[in-house]
Amino acid sequence: MQMQTSLPASLPNSLPAGFEALEPFVEYWAGATNDIRWDRRARASMAEIRSFYEAAVPRADEGLAYLEQFPLDAMPDDATRLLRLLLSLPHAAMAVEFHGQPRAAASPFPHGMHIGRGPWPQGW
Amino acid sequence: MSVVDLPKPNTEFPKLTVPNGLGTGPIPIAPYISQAWYEQERDRVFGRAWLCMGRVEQLPEADSFIVKEIEICGVIALITRDAKDQIRAFHNVCSHRANLVVHETSGKGSRFVCKYHNWAYRNTGDCIGVPDRANFFDLDMKKCGLTPIACETWEGWIFINLQKQPEVTLTEFLGNFGEVFRDAPAPAATQAFTVDVTSMRANWKVTIDAFCESYHVPVLHPSTLGDTFANDSNRYARPLSGNVRGAHRTMTTFGNPNYVPPESSLIERLAYSNIDTGNTLGANDAADMQALQNHPAINPNKVPNWATEICWLFPNFLIFYSPGGFFTLEFWPLSVNTTRWVARMHTPVAADVRQRFQQEHYSCRMAEIFLEDVGNLERQQKAMESGGKTEIILQDGEFLLRHSIETIQKWVASATVREALAE
Repeated sequence: MQMQTSLPASLPNSLPAGFEALEPFVEYWAGATNDIRWDRRARASMAEIRSFYEAAVPRADEGLAYLEQFPLDAMPDDATRLLRLLLSLPHAAMAVEFHGQPRAAASPFPHGMHIGRGPWPQGW
Repeated sequence: MSVVDLPKPNTEFPKLTVPNGLGTGPIPIAPYISQAWYEQERDRVFGRAWLCMGRVEQLPEADSFIVKEIEICGVIALITRDAKDQIRAFHNVCSHRANLVVHETSGKGSRFVCKYHNWAYRNTGDCIGVPDRANFFDLDMKKCGLTPIACETWEGWIFINLQKQPEVTLTEFLGNFGEVFRDAPAPAATQAFTVDVTSMRANWKVTIDAFCESYHVPVLHPSTLGDTFANDSNRYARPLSGNVRGAHRTMTTFGNPNYVPPESSLIERLAYSNIDTGNTLGANDAADMQALQNHPAINPNKVPNWATEICWLFPNFLIFYSPGGFFTLEFWPLSVNTTRWVARMHTPVAADVRQRFQQEHYSCRMAEIFLEDVGNLERQQKAMESGGKTEIILQDGEFLLRHSIETIQKWVASATVREALAE
């Protein structure tokens, strides 16, 4: 399956100007696909999930507003990185807002379930 | 709260089992754990029923193809759309030495070449190339085409039948379901995000059953779904309507109209704050959904607080219509106690980044819910196999499961498909 996965993940200033405070989270949380973002969250500790969630939630609305200037399927690399980072927030929210733990109680892990394609237009 | 303080169940919920002509007794566990029964299902159910392969949009243009494996019958189906938009199915097997012709699961191509000796086929099935043909013995290329599989479409849904000469047409097989669901819309059918489980350790019926009753929802999915599928007026998530439709069956489930994300759910609130989705669990545009809600067979009683119309196409394919869109689930037996399944969630191409954000939240939530089911069902299969019980008990809201097993039992017992379909 062909997906856009080639962005360098953790360059200095990899995010658009103004979002420098989120740089420490890029390498782990700006996963290239929905499936990777889900897996990263499932493998993280609750402290790591909360740390990302608490840092990123206050910037989420501002980040989405910034990204609104670009077409979804033609963003510059730094904006794509910011989008992928923000798209990990719903994953983190499953742990923080629904489960109160990294994964749902009694759900198997590891498991054979995968998100084969993510939402469109990207499919990741 | 003590037991005597519990409010009485709302008696307005319709009865479903007896009015639909079903029995009320316990159901044997043997069909969920028996190898001999599994082989009967292979021959008499999957070997004879029309099997839904999905939507025509999965073949988006001329010369598209998909490959679908029906493991229980050992069949690998190559489904093609030719230049004239005719859809056909073939066994994906070379006429020369019976190797696999197409290795991909989907793609585009008007011809297929076997990678073993370069025998070539058009997507109409005709054999069009045999290297060093002169060295064979009286080879008749007209007889060397791909072996066809019966294939028909209905309302944009592709079906195949593994009988060499299907005993009944697709129209006869669909019966009442095909009549009442004619013209049902398929919004955002051209794309889907997918969730798949390559192999889980549970019988295929154990697995599909879990998606066809809402009684378990407040218990198994309390944080991911519970408050959306039940409230004080319907605390046990009783269905709103249900109909047996020939070999198939449909049911309307309850949605809590008062659900709003709690104050503390900051991301859930952000994801849903800017889009009129028409449904907390959906990811579609409300305008696109009106056509679904207007269809006479979807939520047939037009109850305002409905969550989904579950359409169970016999034996193993589910279409879920909801105010938030539609999605499909297909369950393929790999063995008596392992199952592969695929969910295709049809959501529109996001128009902007906020809709994309909402869709990520929706996909996360669905995957969490599905994973809760996987863990639960693997435990159930193990318990069923332990021999601690020989029967299961079903309540009225679980009538879809009862009709499923009764229909399977009928197909297994029937010498002909027409007999199995007889009222």
